[in-house]
Amino acid sequence: MTVSRERFAQGMTYDEFKAQMTRNRETVEANERAAEIADEDRKVFSRRLSALVLAEDWCGDVLANLPVLGRLAKETGNIDVRVFLRDQNLDLIEQYLNHGKFQSIPVFVFFDGADGGWRELGHWIERPESVTAKRREERLKVFASDSRFGSPDAPVDQLPADVRSELQARLVKTRADTAAWANREVLRELRELVSR
Amino acid sequence: MALPPKVTITYCAECGYEDQTLALARALMLEFREAISGIELIPWEGGTFEVSVGGVLVHSMARDGGFADHGRIKTAVRETLER
Repeated sequence: MTVSRERFAQGMTYDEFKAQMTRNRETVEANERAAEIADEDRKVFSRRLSALVLAEDWCGDVLANLPVLGRLAKETGNIDVRVFLRDQNLDLIEQYLNHGKFQSIPVFVFFDGADGGWRELGHWIERPESVTAKRREERLKVFASDSRFGSPDAPVDQLPADVRSELQARLVKTRADTAAWANREVLRELRELVSR
Repeated sequence: MALPPKVTITYCAECGYEDQTLALARALMLEFREAISGIELIPWEGGTFEVSVGGVLVHSMARDGGFADHGRIKTAVRETLER
């Protein structure tokens, strides 16, 4: 069962979502400024679409990826974004479970409402597989670079505080270094999704 | 008798998991009082939410999904205490 146009309209706009955030708004806005929209994105999103979003303001993948969609919507002027808080809209998240069981967010669901219709084009969950794989690979490299970091599978609480601090700084840098690439991967998947 | 276990909660500070971290810490404090040797909170990154009891990882958001179920963590603490 798809989401009706009426249910979709009950969601918050992207700006309303940001206004009600209890934390991390500055992160979302910084990530929105950093997101770069290319001509190929503008071309694919040159038609009117609606995008339902499931999100929460404490989720790292929401903070990273929703601003990319927000920037895309602002730059193209063609995407009506409506955001629903996952934990208050279980009827929606239950329709878009990750692997059929996880309530992963963000979820983006695209609808084409042209000619008075309402057709679901597809949905996107959490982050691209390529980003997960790249981050895993980069994380393993960081751990392999210094024997003091121990095993990547061991809880970090077993490390001495000074080593932990160093490891944390290295991991944060790795993610920052791949952020622009990860944004492009998100946009690539969104282009593919609405072009099917 | 086994030593009282320490509970460690490693949480993503970038994401703002403080509320969930403090809720779990509070629940453990009220449930076990002086029976645990301590609760350590470690601010981390990358969407992490991990809970170790006596050095054993009993919940990982990456492995198990979501935040830790309080009942599951309490059971792990009780099992460690009864060893």
